[in-house]
Formats: sequence, C-alpha cells, structure tokens
Amino acid sequence: MSAIDRLRAQAEAVFARHGVPAPRLEHWKYTDIRRVVAPFIDHASPAASAEQGGVPNPLRDLDAYRVTFVDGRLVDGDTLPDGVRVRSLAAVLAEARGEEASRLLAVDERAPLFNGLVALNAARACDGLVIDVADGVCVQKPLYVLHWGAVGAAHPRHWIRLGRHAELTLIEHYLSDQEQAGLTNGVTRLELGAGAHARHVRLQQEARRRVHIGRLEARQARASSLVSHSIALGGAWSRVDIACTLADEAARCRLDGLYLLAGRQHADHHTEIEHGAPFGVSREMYRGVLDGRARAVFNGRIVVREGAVKTDSAQRNANLLLSDRAEVDTKPELEIYNDDVQCAHGATVGQLDAQQLFYLRARGLSEEQARQLLTFAFADEVLAGIKPPEVRRYVERAAFGKLPQAGDIASMLQQAGGAA
Amino acid sequence: MNTLKPEDAARQEYRAGFVTDIESDTLPPGLNEEVIRHISARKEEPDWLLEWRLSAYRHWLKMREPHWAHVEYPPIDYQAISYYSAPKAKGDGPKSLDEVDPKLLETYEKLGIPLREQEMLAGVAVDAVFDSVSVATTFREKLAEAGVIFCPISEAVREYPELVRQYLGSVVPVQDNFFAALNSAVFTDGSFVYVPKGVRCPMELSTYFRINASNTGQFERTLIVADAGAYVSYLEGCTAPMRDENQLHAAVVELIALDDAEIKYSTVQNWYPGDERGVGGIYNFVTKRADCRGARSKVSWTQVETGSAITWKYPSCILRGDDAVGEFYSVALTKMRQQADTGTKMVHLGKRTRSTIVSKGIAAGMGQQSYRGLVRIARGAEGARNYTQCDSLLLGDKCGAHTFPYIEVKEPTAIVEHEATTSRIGEDQLFYCRARGIPEEDAVNLIVNGFCKDVFNELPMEFAVEANRLMEVSLEGAVG
Repeated sequence: MSAIDRLRAQAEAVFARHGVPAPRLEHWKYTDIRRVVAPFIDHASPAASAEQGGVPNPLRDLDAYRVTFVDGRLVDGDTLPDGVRVRSLAAVLAEARGEEASRLLAVDERAPLFNGLVALNAARACDGLVIDVADGVCVQKPLYVLHWGAVGAAHPRHWIRLGRHAELTLIEHYLSDQEQAGLTNGVTRLELGAGAHARHVRLQQEARRRVHIGRLEARQARASSLVSHSIALGGAWSRVDIACTLADEAARCRLDGLYLLAGRQHADHHTEIEHGAPFGVSREMYRGVLDGRARAVFNGRIVVREGAVKTDSAQRNANLLLSDRAEVDTKPELEIYNDDVQCAHGATVGQLDAQQLFYLRARGLSEEQARQLLTFAFADEVLAGIKPPEVRRYVERAAFGKLPQAGDIASMLQQAGGAA
Repeated sequence: MNTLKPEDAARQEYRAGFVTDIESDTLPPGLNEEVIRHISARKEEPDWLLEWRLSAYRHWLKMREPHWAHVEYPPIDYQAISYYSAPKAKGDGPKSLDEVDPKLLETYEKLGIPLREQEMLAGVAVDAVFDSVSVATTFREKLAEAGVIFCPISEAVREYPELVRQYLGSVVPVQDNFFAALNSAVFTDGSFVYVPKGVRCPMELSTYFRINASNTGQFERTLIVADAGAYVSYLEGCTAPMRDENQLHAAVVELIALDDAEIKYSTVQNWYPGDERGVGGIYNFVTKRADCRGARSKVSWTQVETGSAITWKYPSCILRGDDAVGEFYSVALTKMRQQADTGTKMVHLGKRTRSTIVSKGIAAGMGQQSYRGLVRIARGAEGARNYTQCDSLLLGDKCGAHTFPYIEVKEPTAIVEHEATTSRIGEDQLFYCRARGIPEEDAVNLIVNGFCKDVFNELPMEFAVEANRLMEVSLEGAVG
C-alpha cells in the first residue's frame, strides 16, 4: 500500500467514524444536510466529465490569472509569473514523496470546526491547487479560480502558502449546471508567512438544486493580514466554515460576508477566529437579507487564548427579514481567557428603518423603490470592501438580481453612477 | 502595569461558612423509589403527588446528565447524597417563631436575617428553608388578611391541594431536564405563593435557604402564582457552611403570571463557593422559569450570583400573552476557581411582547464566567422586541469570560438587538480616580459598582444593600 493510499484510507476511516454531521452536534444544530448529501457520498466524480463543454466564462472584464476546475478536476489554467509555483494536487500526489503527501492529505480532528465532511474531502479529493508564493513576491493580478459543477460530487482541495511579505488575491467562484443536483465539498488552506497579505473572495452562486459545503482554513504568522469575503447567493443548501488562527504576534484578519437568500434556500456560516498571540486584531461583519422561506444561520466564535494580550476584536452580524416565512438563527460567541483585551460583538435582526423609508418617500421614491434601495444599501456595506472593483461590481449585480423587482433600482443606480 | 492581584481577591473568606449543631432527621444516602415513598409519606402527601414524583423519577432514570455547559466538575454520585434532612422536630413542629429552635434562629441571625426583627420592623415576610424543610414563616396573619397565601409548599399541598395540583409542573414539567426531573422526584420543601385577583401583595416576600447538614442535597421547589392583576415581589437568599465535599443544590422555581399580573423575583445567591484550590462548594444546578400566560403580564428576574462552586442557571420567561414583558438583570461574580454558566431564555410567542436582558459578569482569580442566553421569536409574535446587553469585566490574567447568545427569529416585524463587550478595568478610569485622591482599592470598587449599577438598581432596597456589601467583600484585597 502506497503512502497516499494509506492516507486516503485513514481519512476514509475518520469520515466513517464521524459521518455526515447531524444536528445533535452543536455546530450543526440548525443545519441538517444528511438527507441531501447522502446521494452524493459514494458518487465518484466521473473522470470523463472533465471537459469544458458548457463551462461559462463570467467576469470577462477582470484582468486575472484564470484557472478552471470542472467537477473538482483541473481542466485549464494560465501560467503564473515568476516566484509563484503552481501545481495541481493530482500531479503532486502522483509523484509525491511521503512527507508532502501527508502534509496535503492529513486530517486533523482537533482542527477548529472540524467535521466528517472535512475528512471526506481528504479521502476523495482528486484535484486542487498547490501554490507556493515565494518570499517578497507580490502577485499583481488576482488569481481567479472558477469551479464548475456539471454533475455529481466535487471535492476540490487547495493548499496555498504565502512566503514572507508575499501578496496574493484569490477569488474562488462556484457555479454549477442549473439542471443538475450535486454536491460541492471544498477545502482551501491558506498559510500566511510573516508580513504576508492575502485577500480571499468566495463567491458562491451554485445552482438551485446543489449542496455547497466550503471550508477556508487560515493560519497566520507574525504581522500577516487576511481579508476574506464570503458571499452566499446560490445553492439549495450551503454551509461555509471559516477558521482563522492568528498564531503569531500582530496578525490581523477581517472576515466579511453576505448571504442573500430567497425561496427555500438555506445558508449557514460558521466562523472561528482564534487569537493565539499578543497584539492580534480581528474584525468581522456578516450581513444577511432573507426573503421567501429562506433560512440563514450565522455562528461567529472568537477565542482569545491566555497569552494573547492586547487583543482587539470586534464582530457584527446584522440581518434583514423581508418575509414572514423567513428565519434567521445567529450566535455571536466570545471565549476569553485573558484580561488584557478589547472584545465586542453584536447581532441584530430587524426590518428597514421607518425613518429612512420616510426620508426616501419624501424625496419622491415609491415605497417599493425606497425599500429596494435601502435593502441594497444594507447589503452593499459588505460588498464595498471587495477588491478588485470589477469583482465588486459583478457581485453587486448578482446580488441585485436576487432582490425582488430589482430592475427599477438597477437602472436608478446606473443613472446615479452615470451622473457621477 | 498590572495593578490587580487576583491571588488577593481569591483569599477573602466566606462569611457564612459556619455549621449549626442541630439534631437533624436525615435519610441515609441513596435514591430509589423507597426513598421517594418515604419522603412523600413523611410529608403526608396525597397519592397524586407521590405518583407525580415517581413518574419524574422514572423519567430521570432514562435521562443523561447534561454536559453542554462551559463548566468542568468530577462526576456526581447520585447514590452518595442524602435526599432528606430535616432539623429534628419537637413535637409537631413550630407554629410560630417562639417555637422555633433557638439555635436555628441564631443561625439566621449570624446570616444577617433577624427573623424576629424583620417581623417587627422591616415589613418583609420571611420563609426560611433549612436544609430541606421550611422552618419558619413570618407575617402570615397580615398576608392572610390580604388574601395572599405564603407558606411552605409542603403545607400548601395539604391546605390548598387544588391550587398546587393545577399549577405544579405546568411551567417546568417533570421530564423537562435532568436536574428538574431529579428535583421533581425528591423535592422536600420550598415556598408557595398565591396572590389572588387584583391584589397587590402588601409586603415583599422573602425566602432564605441554607444547607446545613453534610452529604445532603437541597432540592427545593418554589411555585408562585400571580392571578389576574396581582403584584408580588419575592426575594430569595442562600448560604451554606464550608465543607470539603461538594454539595448539590438542584432547585426548581416556577412562576405563573396571568392577565396584567406582575412578578418580581430577586435572588442573592451566596452558597459556599469552595476554597481557593477549588475544594468543596455547592453545585448550583437550578431550573427557573416564568410563564407569562396572561396578556400584559410581566415577570422580572434579578439575580446577584456570588457564591457556588458551579452555577448552572438560566431564569427564563415564556412570553405567551400578548404585550407580555420579560426582564432579566444579572450580576455574576466568579473568583478563585468558581465557574458560572448562567443567562436567560426569552421565548416570544405573543404579539408585541418585549424583553430586556442586562447581564454583567465579573471574573477574578481563576474564575470562569459564561453568559448563555436564548432569544427566540416565534412566527406570529408580531412587533416583538428584544434588547440584550451582556458585558464582562476581567480582573486578573487567569480568569475567563465567555458569551454564547443564541438568537432565533422567525418574525419579520420583530426587532432583536444583542450587544456584548469584554474588557478589563480601564487604566484611564483608574488613573482618573487615583488623580483625584481615591485609593486604588476604592477606585476599583467604585468602577465595579458602576459596572453593576444597572442591575443593582433593579433590586429591592434591602437586597441592594446586601448585594453592594457582598460585592465589596468579594472584591476585598483585589487591589494591591
């Protein structure tokens, strides 16, 4: 048995032990995906589907390095500049020596927000990106990774390491075939060297019958910084776990997110920021807009360890319920083992402000227009931080499309934009 | 600059830690149906209550002890606890204070509860529960005049069986949770209050609980019913002697407020917290729940939690009636190796129901402090409103403060706000006080007091004084 087979078998065994997470687990209290995930557990992604037929090409105006995955397999990719080493996981595993393979496939059951699906990913992942950015290299253009789900299950697994003072913007875009049900179960690991800076945008626009499971795990060295945006617009079910460890002094992270749901969509975000060293700074803002019978879950946990003095942490979660059938369950958690900290969190659930509506009505907007404008403004607060601007505009348009009667407001904004 | 020495904060002594030498009538340790039958027989209870206890016990046998709280303790051996301990009765038990064992009265005086004086001056009716039985209730005549029933629950079972049967277990059913089921099976005493329609209870009602005998658990049950338009303010205080073993306290409190009724429930909990190494102390696993059944009813919980080795307590409100109001004000202090996992639940069912939660946690020494709360707005609770503020203050670098607020909203017209902050005493605040000639220790007291003020303001006057004193004592020596 090769080293890789052994690692796969170990991961498979861990999955067998934990299974698909059930609501009796505290972190899965509000999200029961067992039934919807079951058909795809033993669904090997067909190797033959790795062709580019029908793969869309959104964000054409974005100047970026592009990589495309179909059903979890790499099908196409641009060449990256010097100082950036990009390999496919499949290629690395084909030739890997034991050590690297175990780094790439090992399963840590003590990892924050660990669950059976993380092990499933390690057991089944057939491809992904393994990227090393050398010390001091600043990658000028963003790296745009398109994940297209055609049929069945995909388990992409990415491993990205930034050297000291390196910089990278990574955009992960998830799209899938409208006619097909399917499962995406992705894991992305980010390792930031001292002083490194990473931007990560996760844009989830899966098809209406698809289940999306995503995980971003970041480990940050001294004075590194991470800005993450997680946007959930699509999918029948989506669950995104973001675990960020500030392992060394003066690391900072910013986790922002938006979930905009309608119909019977269900989106769940769990984030965990661990302050493990002094002078760490974390900021978090998640916003949600829920229409129809949608249900959203947000759980933001911040842990400050004993030695992490001078920690500065703030977290916000705000939700807008547009329909009387929608539901939101939110839990901002703080766990603090040290007295020299400044930590605050807040969560709100509510509706549009009557005074703001009145203000716009007094300026001649219809009730409906005023509502749309305020709803958009509410959501846009999160999107405003997304860079590059082409991506922000794309996300704004996509988010718009989901608001009822968005046409009016889109043209209104366009006029406003044109005038300015 | 670290001006706070947690070691010092941990060293201050427990002032209610004496043992009263009283002959008591105690059952041998262990729990089985015989014990329950024995307790029931001793209390001369009707058959329905015995059956109720036994069904609770059978449920309990099937349940597992919950471990989701953010606390750690060695496993509890439920067979090593004695489930009944009563000060040995002289004849038929006391009918008035004059007949109460003078040693008992002495105990209460040491605790600062002069039953006799209070009867004369303070105008507070007191029901004192010693180990498992109620030993004295004061002011009964005056209350009876107003139609208010205030008596030990064991007596209420005999005298007002219809009332007790109607309401007992209607808020916290026997199978509600592990500790509530245990309590339902073995509860020995507690207070019963019934305020009839339209009556404003003429005085504050008060109960003092004390665990005296060793190896015993205390399982009291409190039931308060405020009929339509009634008002009652109820105070509860608790202490226990210093012992090396851990003692279990699993109480159940049920409040029922009908139309336009208001219940104000205040607690100053000062059970023995154990010593600085974490040896001994009370396990305080309590289920408190209020059912705001009537329209425009109101329940207000105020608690000051300074004692107990472990606190596991979530006074809750079910806001069933339209326009019902629930409030929760809490100050919890954990020092030495104390652990507290406490908070509240506000379940909004009725239209335009409102709730306010103000929780202030102070952790010192190696204390661990958690706020755990639930705000649930059900579909149809139109215009429901919740505001939650929970702040934590950390004194010392080995303590911990945690927040776990659950918010579940299914109603678009509801507004829910939650805010939490955690920090230590600001150096600028301390400096400001010091610059004005206030000694460091007084300055810390002043700042902590200000931190707790929103909650202390909600306490009835007698308790506000006691709470202030408790906080001061607890923080004594916290500053070097």
